[in-house]
Amino acid sequence: MEDQVNKQTTDSISEIMNIDRLVHSPARLAILTYLSVVEEGDAVYLLNQTGLTWGNLSANVTRLQEAGYIEVGKEFKDKKSHTLIKLTNEGRKAFYDYQKKMKGLLDINKPI
Amino acid sequence: MDTLHEKTIERRVFTSFFRDGSVEAFTGIILLQLGLPLLFSRSGFGDMESALFTLPIALILLAIVFLVRRLVVTPRLGRVKFLHERRRKLSKLIIVPILTLIAGAIAGYIFTGNASPKNIFVGLIPFSLSPIIVFSAAAYFLDMKRLYVYGTIVSLILPLGKYLETIIISKTTLPATLLIPAFVFLGIATFFFVAFLRKYHETRV
Repeated sequence: MEDQVNKQTTDSISEIMNIDRLVHSPARLAILTYLSVVEEGDAVYLLNQTGLTWGNLSANVTRLQEAGYIEVGKEFKDKKSHTLIKLTNEGRKAFYDYQKKMKGLLDINKPI
Repeated sequence: MDTLHEKTIERRVFTSFFRDGSVEAFTGIILLQLGLPLLFSRSGFGDMESALFTLPIALILLAIVFLVRRLVVTPRLGRVKFLHERRRKLSKLIIVPILTLIAGAIAGYIFTGNASPKNIFVGLIPFSLSPIIVFSAAAYFLDMKRLYVYGTIVSLILPLGKYLETIIISKTTLPATLLIPAFVFLGIATFFFVAFLRKYHETRV
């Protein structure tokens, strides 16, 4: 029994090393969380919900876009251009995988 | 949507788009729409004239609320396309005006028609039930618990006005009972709107 618990703990520690670091950052995690609950949103929506500064949001959005986790598009409404940001299927999968891993880790570390 | 946690976040995001006082403004306009014709008709105008005087006021106020949401609120909160689940729920919101019409017609028939009961308070039951049904439907489809409270308040106002009329015998007692809460709701709406403007500034990106 004790051996099994030790093995599970070792496995869970090695799982930590496999965590997607791109998702793990608090700012990017917040961006992905708020994008996961909508189909798409603009930069103002993300600024308000995450509380990030414009510079910080822009840098993190660029990193997520480069990884293919989000799509950034332009839309014209009332003759004004809006930047629309959308979670890609890959991004959604990465976000759910991250959630699953973190839940698994936290469950295994419950006091026995 | 996978987890309960995500549903909570989605609901929080959705309801954050209605913290600008627009819901309170709509409630105030509904009460105004009930109170003003009553005030006019009791001041000597005909029922039709009273309704015609009030309708433009309500329409102008509704137009102001819509314009403010479009020109002031949306640029500050950002544009969002919600998930299919939410949009499907919102599309069912059409039930609310239909319920309003049906409930209003039934209430009107019972109150003014041949079916009018002898006891005035019994006649008020449909008037009191209508706001509860309409506001509860809106509360459910918009995920806004405070609408249940508003519905209850609106439903209690008319019987309260009728009751007060038996104590304070005046032509203006009943209209005042409707108009005072209307202005209170419009005041709350203004307060929420000012708080909203102070919290959210227009962001140019």
